[in-house]
Amino acid sequence: MATEKTQASDVISGEWNVRYNYSVGKVAGTFFDALKERKILATKSSKSGISYLPPRAYCERSFEPCDEWVEAGHEGVIEAATIVSAAFEHLPPPPYAIAYVRLDGIDTAMINFVRNLDMSDVGAAMEKLKPGTRVRVEFIDDPKGEVTDFHYVL
Amino acid sequence: MSPQQVAVIGTGQTVFKKHHDDKTYVELVQDATLAALADAKMTPDEIDAVVFSMAPTEFAGIHDIEKWSVDSIFGAGKPLMRVHTGGATGGSALHAGYTHVASGLFRNVLVVGADRVAETPDAQHILNLIWDRFYEFDFALNTVTMTALSTQRQMARYGTTEEQFARVVVRARANALKNPYAHLKGKITVEDVMNSPAVAWPYKLFDCCPRSSGGAAMVLTTLDGAREKCASPAFINGVGATTSTVFQGDKTGPKADVEYADLAELEIAGKEAYAQAGITDPKKQIQVAELYDPFSSMQFPQLESLGFCERGEAPALSDAGAFDLGSDLTVSPSGGSLCTNPIGVTGLVRAIEAANQVMQRAGDMQVSGVRNAVATAIGGSAQFYTASVFGADHL
Amino acid sequence: MAPKYQENDAYILGVTLHEAMPRVADKRLEEMVYDTAKEALDAVGISRRALDHVTIAACDELDGRSISSMLLAAPAGAYLKDEIKATDSGLTGLCLEATRIRSGRFHLGLLVSWNKSSIAPFEDVMRMRCEPFYTRPIGLNMSISDGLFAAAMQGVDEADASKVAASYRQAAAKNPRGVAAVPVAADAIAASPYVSTPLREGHRPPVTDGAVAMVVVSGAWLNDHPDARPLARLSGIGWSLESYQLGGDRLASMLGLKTAFGDAMKDAGLGNADELDVIEIEAQTAFHDIATRQALALPADQTVSPSGGPFAQNPYFCTGLVSAAEAVLQVAGKAGPVQAGRVKTAAAIGFHGFAHQGNVTAIFEEIPA
Repeated sequence: MATEKTQASDVISGEWNVRYNYSVGKVAGTFFDALKERKILATKSSKSGISYLPPRAYCERSFEPCDEWVEAGHEGVIEAATIVSAAFEHLPPPPYAIAYVRLDGIDTAMINFVRNLDMSDVGAAMEKLKPGTRVRVEFIDDPKGEVTDFHYVL
Repeated sequence: MSPQQVAVIGTGQTVFKKHHDDKTYVELVQDATLAALADAKMTPDEIDAVVFSMAPTEFAGIHDIEKWSVDSIFGAGKPLMRVHTGGATGGSALHAGYTHVASGLFRNVLVVGADRVAETPDAQHILNLIWDRFYEFDFALNTVTMTALSTQRQMARYGTTEEQFARVVVRARANALKNPYAHLKGKITVEDVMNSPAVAWPYKLFDCCPRSSGGAAMVLTTLDGAREKCASPAFINGVGATTSTVFQGDKTGPKADVEYADLAELEIAGKEAYAQAGITDPKKQIQVAELYDPFSSMQFPQLESLGFCERGEAPALSDAGAFDLGSDLTVSPSGGSLCTNPIGVTGLVRAIEAANQVMQRAGDMQVSGVRNAVATAIGGSAQFYTASVFGADHL
Repeated sequence: MAPKYQENDAYILGVTLHEAMPRVADKRLEEMVYDTAKEALDAVGISRRALDHVTIAACDELDGRSISSMLLAAPAGAYLKDEIKATDSGLTGLCLEATRIRSGRFHLGLLVSWNKSSIAPFEDVMRMRCEPFYTRPIGLNMSISDGLFAAAMQGVDEADASKVAASYRQAAAKNPRGVAAVPVAADAIAASPYVSTPLREGHRPPVTDGAVAMVVVSGAWLNDHPDARPLARLSGIGWSLESYQLGGDRLASMLGLKTAFGDAMKDAGLGNADELDVIEIEAQTAFHDIATRQALALPADQTVSPSGGPFAQNPYFCTGLVSAAEAVLQVAGKAGPVQAGRVKTAAAIGFHGFAHQGNVTAIFEEIPA
């Protein structure tokens, strides 16, 4: 349709920024407190026998409460990994590596960054991150009780 | 009592592209509605209820966007609900539309929606906000990285190569040349894909879908309604769905119920849909699969989950041309989600393309001799799955 | 013996309401939802594994999770189940559930809805419902659209609304499933500050945290499980979305309410509103309560919202499903201190959107002994 543009722009700009206060709940506080002591705690359901990281209050499968805490090992195995090369808004500057790692003694894998990795050649770096590769947990110097207190290293 | 028969008698789409700056959201969704009504030979008054397909609404930046749309789609005063299963929303909207008719509560139901994924400058930011705030959000998860992770695992398990994924992209873009609505299309080479900029290993830019804007709509009716209005309806003969855990790390290790690399939940949804539709040998009975594949690596595990081949076999079959246009199973003759991804309606577009094939209304994309077609949709952390079987014959 | 239940009819086997509180401080939302779903299943002896589907109703923006069912489907019982979420309101979830059961495709389901109102700035979320061109720059939200509606109503003055609000606060104080509502006198309500004239603060129930779960089964399932005792039959359902434009006619006509209510009554085989023993109304303002009574021409002695309605608890998004739960408890004779005698039929009326753009009615019938 040959209508003439009567406005300076063909879009109107807007923002959607809503503040939230998320309740920590039953298990996250214990998990975060333990991080300050350099411990990674998983929850476990005695009914299903499954231990969960990230921890949760209930077993999604048996639908019974998770009624035990289990301390995860500080080593584990990569289940999946990638190196991000593209920049995304509000995400870290690339490149960076992330991996799902199943820590020793725990049935599920938890995601975190893989640090201290030479990523100058992404293909070569990915060779080192194959599923099955053993990695270890490294804590930051001054853990604050946040999930970013630790990361994985080869 | 077994469910009443439900038929597709009309479909409509707009052109999909990055921006439709000449139209508001409600005008886009109206265009799709009018196209589907015309195809169904219906007037708006004949529609008894509406199922709205759009989620998450943050891409378009308007909360409960169906409430703004209701007047434009002639829905005011009618029963209308919006459904939401992330990227699988379009598949779930089809299933909700199906039960609207199958229950006998309504005769003619419009399933409709539109999305404008590029209305926000970086959709992957919103797709980062979907993750658990306490445990997963901080680690740069979004739909690109989450599928890159499972793809690395897929490659390690089955030896699939980046070039094999690239061939999927080449085929999809070529198929899309015949699709007047597709967003990305063209003759490209494996080298073009391999040389496109790195995104998240193993993905390059061409392994990833575009952010699309556009609308889609479908008209469903009863067996009687179909007989009155349509010489060759597509019957919805199977509707399977399953929802998995958000925590992808649960899908690894010896105690996992479903394998992260395999999109194994689709096997559950597919089996259910097949059982309803009387599909016992998908290789023989199904001629077209319209797959929800916004990333190049998502075709192989879906084809395997849907029983078209054994685990790990799809890449070699793909190389040999087994899923090309006109082969025993044509995969995504429309070019699929790799070429066009308006997230809130992508699953609906898959259903539309599958139904069109069965109705012999797919235009230049038409595959000859289609009696049954399957459409999938996937959403969340590869977590929400739908499989829908369309047949030329009713049950 | 002939089957007792119509195969494709939907029945409510069990109902659980999470403890109502202004703020549930000790659980994250996922834990509230799990506790509610788990209790609902346990109360009727159904294992999660036996479910053939789950229907949920929730609002991403209020949940503060961009695809909230990613996190909440599993605690709602949906792990490896066929699950769909409705986004309009908790009571709309019941509409979707009704289509699922009545299709004959599903027989044993869990319907779950929730709102942890305390985590999100409610009106800031509602403001984002405005389309960006004409209404957002002006800044519409629930309070303002309800104020427009209250102003558009003919023949209702503020004093009437204050009296209605006072009476519901009194009723709500007796409801053990509500927050401990404190009765407030009508003159105190009439003196409360204006929110959007003529709507005053006291005319509205405060939002609370809450969750609802219902176990819903088909008649076919009940015929196969003769020991199961449903609480109610979902005998009628109707829903309608009105125009987005808030003109005077749209505000005052209550057309969507009349359509949804009429459709549900027809579905239930009922004619006049006086055939309903109880009507639970999700009235987000006292003006909505009055307007509903007028629009449906309810008799003066009609029992309306014996639970106290949203003044008992108001987890905004799922309040309509709370009303449905209260209606189910009424026909089951299990409403406790707010039981309105023998109740054979009860309706729940819910609203959603700006100035009741969305309307839902569900009708429940008692199970003959």
